[in-house]
Amino acid sequence: MTTDLQTPASPAPSVSLWRQAARTLLADKGSMTALAVLCIIVLACLLAPLYAHYVAHTDAFASNVAGSIVLNGHEVDIMQPNDNPLHLGLSPIGPTGHTAYLLGADSQGRDIAARLLYGGRNSLMISACAAVLCLFLSTLVGVTAGYFGGITDSILSRLMDIMWAVPVYLFAISLSIITVRHGLQIGPFTIEADNLLIPIIIIALVYVPYAARPVRGRVMVLRQAEFVTAARCLGVPQWRVLLFDILPNVLITLVVLGPLLMALSLLAESALSFLSLGVQAPAASWGTMIQDGEGLIYSRPVVAIAPGLAIVFVVLALNILGDGLRDALDIRNATRRSR
Amino acid sequence: MLSAFLRRVGQTLIVLFGISVLVFLVFFATPGADPTARIAGRNASPQTMEKVRHEYGFDRPLPFQYATMMKKLFITRDLTSYANRGEQVVPEIIQAAPVTLSLVCGSAVIWLIVSVAMGTLAAAMKGSWVDRTLIMLGLVGISMPVFWLGQVANLISLSRYHDTWLFSWVPGPGYVPLTQNPLAWFKALVIPWCVLAVMFIGIYSRILRADLVALAQEDFMRTARAKGLSPARILVFHGLRTSAITYVSLFGLDFAQLLGGGALLTEVVFGLPGVGRLTYQALTNLDLPLIMATVMYSATFVVLANAVVDILYILLDPRVRDGR
Amino acid sequence: MLRCLTFAARMNFLRASTLAVIAQTLSVSVVILSPAVAMAQNDSQTPPLPHSGGTLRMVAQSSGGTLDPQISYMALTRQFETPVYDTLLAYPKFAGARAVPVIASLAENVPQPEDDGLTYRITLRKGIRFSNGHELNTEDVAASFRRIFKAGSPTAGPYYSHLKGAKECLADPAHCTLKEGITTDPASRTVTFHLDTPDPEFLPRLAWSHSAILPADTPASDTGNTAPPGTGPYRITGYDPTRFLRMERNPYFHEWAHDAQPAGYPDIIEATFGLDQESELTAVENGQFDWMYESIPLDRLGEAGDHFAGQVQIYSQLLYYYAALNTTLPPFDNLKARQALNYAVNRHAMVIYHGGPAVATPICQLIPSGAPGFDSSCAYTKGASPEHPAAEWKAPDLEKARQLVRESGTAGQKITIVAPLDGRYGAMATELRNTLAQLGYDASVRSMTQAVQFSYIQNSDNRVQIALTGWQADYPSASSFLQTLYSCTTIHPHSDNSLNVSAYCNPDIDALMDQSAMLALKDYDASNASWARADRALMAQAPSVPLVQIRRVTLLAKRVHNAIATLNDDLLLSQLQIK
Repeated sequence: MTTDLQTPASPAPSVSLWRQAARTLLADKGSMTALAVLCIIVLACLLAPLYAHYVAHTDAFASNVAGSIVLNGHEVDIMQPNDNPLHLGLSPIGPTGHTAYLLGADSQGRDIAARLLYGGRNSLMISACAAVLCLFLSTLVGVTAGYFGGITDSILSRLMDIMWAVPVYLFAISLSIITVRHGLQIGPFTIEADNLLIPIIIIALVYVPYAARPVRGRVMVLRQAEFVTAARCLGVPQWRVLLFDILPNVLITLVVLGPLLMALSLLAESALSFLSLGVQAPAASWGTMIQDGEGLIYSRPVVAIAPGLAIVFVVLALNILGDGLRDALDIRNATRRSR
Repeated sequence: MLSAFLRRVGQTLIVLFGISVLVFLVFFATPGADPTARIAGRNASPQTMEKVRHEYGFDRPLPFQYATMMKKLFITRDLTSYANRGEQVVPEIIQAAPVTLSLVCGSAVIWLIVSVAMGTLAAAMKGSWVDRTLIMLGLVGISMPVFWLGQVANLISLSRYHDTWLFSWVPGPGYVPLTQNPLAWFKALVIPWCVLAVMFIGIYSRILRADLVALAQEDFMRTARAKGLSPARILVFHGLRTSAITYVSLFGLDFAQLLGGGALLTEVVFGLPGVGRLTYQALTNLDLPLIMATVMYSATFVVLANAVVDILYILLDPRVRDGR
Repeated sequence: MLRCLTFAARMNFLRASTLAVIAQTLSVSVVILSPAVAMAQNDSQTPPLPHSGGTLRMVAQSSGGTLDPQISYMALTRQFETPVYDTLLAYPKFAGARAVPVIASLAENVPQPEDDGLTYRITLRKGIRFSNGHELNTEDVAASFRRIFKAGSPTAGPYYSHLKGAKECLADPAHCTLKEGITTDPASRTVTFHLDTPDPEFLPRLAWSHSAILPADTPASDTGNTAPPGTGPYRITGYDPTRFLRMERNPYFHEWAHDAQPAGYPDIIEATFGLDQESELTAVENGQFDWMYESIPLDRLGEAGDHFAGQVQIYSQLLYYYAALNTTLPPFDNLKARQALNYAVNRHAMVIYHGGPAVATPICQLIPSGAPGFDSSCAYTKGASPEHPAAEWKAPDLEKARQLVRESGTAGQKITIVAPLDGRYGAMATELRNTLAQLGYDASVRSMTQAVQFSYIQNSDNRVQIALTGWQADYPSASSFLQTLYSCTTIHPHSDNSLNVSAYCNPDIDALMDQSAMLALKDYDASNASWARADRALMAQAPSVPLVQIRRVTLLAKRVHNAIATLNDDLLLSQLQIK
């Protein structure tokens, strides 16, 4: 797929360009609403321990199937036996509407509302870190390929082509299955299997081809630009050209890609965790919560619906913000999305 | 033309070879992947293990094992699974392929029609509330995790509202072959189709709208308008035709990836025994023959589709065609 | 264990909440397996029973792979093949606790051990024919036992290596003759087994499915998707492992011993593969299928109990879940740490994870309820100790556990629980992790597909500290719970087949177990009492943490009656009646 980069290549964007963009963005009601929603969700997730401790009075990670709570003066079991003649099965308590178990319990008797906030921390952290890491790697690849061209470009581009050819989620799942049991060993560093770095690295890796292409395209345009040629003719060392002329221009592309990549990463994280290949128990993420809820979809659908809605809200907000940024920075940027 | 074609084939083969060697090596480097014990059965004596190891050739050098596996996969086509004794992998893929094909084709029809309609309408009414609503709908579409949407669809159609007139027709779902009962096939797949299509409708309508809006600034569109053609005509005949290039190439790649196993989450959630699910199953079971077969299948599709898209691109786009 | 392995096949994948009604018609590519049987000379066939006839339609998540009865180790395949193949002896085909000692099936008599358990002599019944018309003779028996080694049956080593010449057969299967181990006399129809060393479990092993008697000319390699002819009331006539299995009546069958191999009721038995548990349940509720092989999903136990109570089948099985503690790695190389976890774990919570007291019962010993040698006792509950065990589990004793951990000095150590990847195991693993955390350990869970996990936890190279798993014996016996899992002889370092996951080796207890086993040759009751002692002695050393024993809960369609489930054979397909 081709990438259209229609902004003219100009010397390092001046401070005024950023200020201009910020002004446009601030005036855009949609983007501002999205930003506000994001801020509220992030804040709420950061406050998860306070909520669990002071409001819900629960430990969101300890299973509590044998426990009970007091509702309206009655003591209620968290796992409620069914009253059929065979005494088969138990159901977790549903949404109570009280501070304790506001949204009910999952099959291990844990407070869903509290877990939703804790899970959000992991989901947001992973997707944000993955997006940043992916941008970093893509810049590395894209700038190298785009600026040096020739054989370097050919090799890197073919490599990206191969990665591009594998369905993203299949790629991520394969990597996760290999690492989820033994962790990752890179030289002297060992990353434990339940370390959040593993999903972060995997998600960042699989999206590199998606972000490296626009970066490469941008750099290729820049390389031909007059001001770069001028700098080179004047004998400015290559690293200076790269650092002071190319990178600031690439930054625009990166800023626009950022929220979109984070949205993609969040979706990928939830898919991996849903397949038990991302965040490992007892830690929670919205994906693992959907997975927990799947076994209860018939009796307590809220367990799966709540984290799903949270994902939809955050991804939607990120996409709107991404659109806003793109318009503000005036880059037409088609990023492929996976399913 | 022929040499270009041959070069393409050569490249494809090299890529496939590279992928298969990579899969093979990664498998044998993965701890706990040795299939001998699983094939031999639990508590098998060391002698029985040795017998199995020898029968399956696990005591041979890796290049030999690789060559044997490739021979069994492509030439004799009798490669058997490591996880399920006696299960041949090629027929499994042959059986899974029509399921995925049914799912992806149906879904593609839906997403093409709806996204073209939405994209064109939004571009035509640029700036109006219709445009804004459609943009918003598209955004919501790309923001939903497909497996979650599938679960919710199941919940609504099979459990909560199954007894109402709206969803009482939804079968105790799953896959029914088209050849066996076309109506049941349709009923079983229509909800998965829509769920899978939602995200693509979002992406494609956005891209189309953006394309059309940008095209409106181009010279030939201005000329058309100056000639007095009606706006609808301009949009459909000139705009859409030009946008078709980006659209088709994008579609080709997405379609191929889906056929190659990219629809895995949809297949998992709806219990459709397709290629994606098979691949996932093979991966979680560390079943090398099945992994190898599905990966080869998937890579072949994607590489082929890339080639087809390239050719289409040449045919569709006069600039590329004449520039060569 | 058999079932646990299948559990893998059943659970390995579909967490999907919907269904896949795979082709119900089996028209395409039906593999015809046995040679076409000329319908004829059925004068020997028993007249049809009342309530017989019809097609029984069962449904399962996935098939069990190879059909070779001497190789397949999957519970589902065994379920199909129970009415297809016969062994010399058999477990009685009726429900209840009395169905334990083996009875004669293809043999006329249960042999008495001679020469201190080195010789067993049986006489073959007359007039039994395979489904291809061939009449069963002594050569078929000898050939079938050779084939166990030649085809590489998983249990060739563990179960049949006491036979004379078996060592040579294991080492060089291609040239296996077993001519000293088995002698036959075609005229008197006798077969004599000669053993190197006494095998106290030789009789149950003559009833074990891998010793099924096949025609002598059956190929000496895994038959895969084709089923060799058998002697039972049914024969397998179509099989596609991804889609279906079909069984029809064996025209040559007549009932020779009702308790060993009863004649079947349905004319045809059909199994469809490819639906997940949720879908199976829905389909059976709607009457599209007659029996679901998988258990009812946890989420829908309530629904089944509310609306289909009359159709729900609950039956006992010798299956329990436990956590194996690696006694060679810290912290569980320390007895006090092992005992602490046994005291601390909340078995009531484990019961809830399996669907409540109707489905599961707490267990804190190594021989499950219903198996020979079972004597209810619990050393690790409030108010009990290994010296003074209680009769059953009451409540966890966290204080005592914490004290033991303090004494052991292991607090704060890192522990990784390796658990299979599926809902119930996941919940159990999380509960265990909680408990370990409460005891002051730094615990985490690592999960992987069950098929992979089961061999992973056995290999000492993987250094697994604690593994969550389940065990079901091949046949009801104490030794397959104690000796198989905790004797020094089942430790194979660096091998994926080392069933002693705890790597627990204690020569004194080994001697006690051997003694209990050998007692069985003379005095069955004394042997069982001795096994119970061995169980308590082992539990005092706490090489693992038994958690819950579970019952099977499945659903039959309204039109199906006469469900008979035995401890050894699960539900008897051939005995289901369709009305």
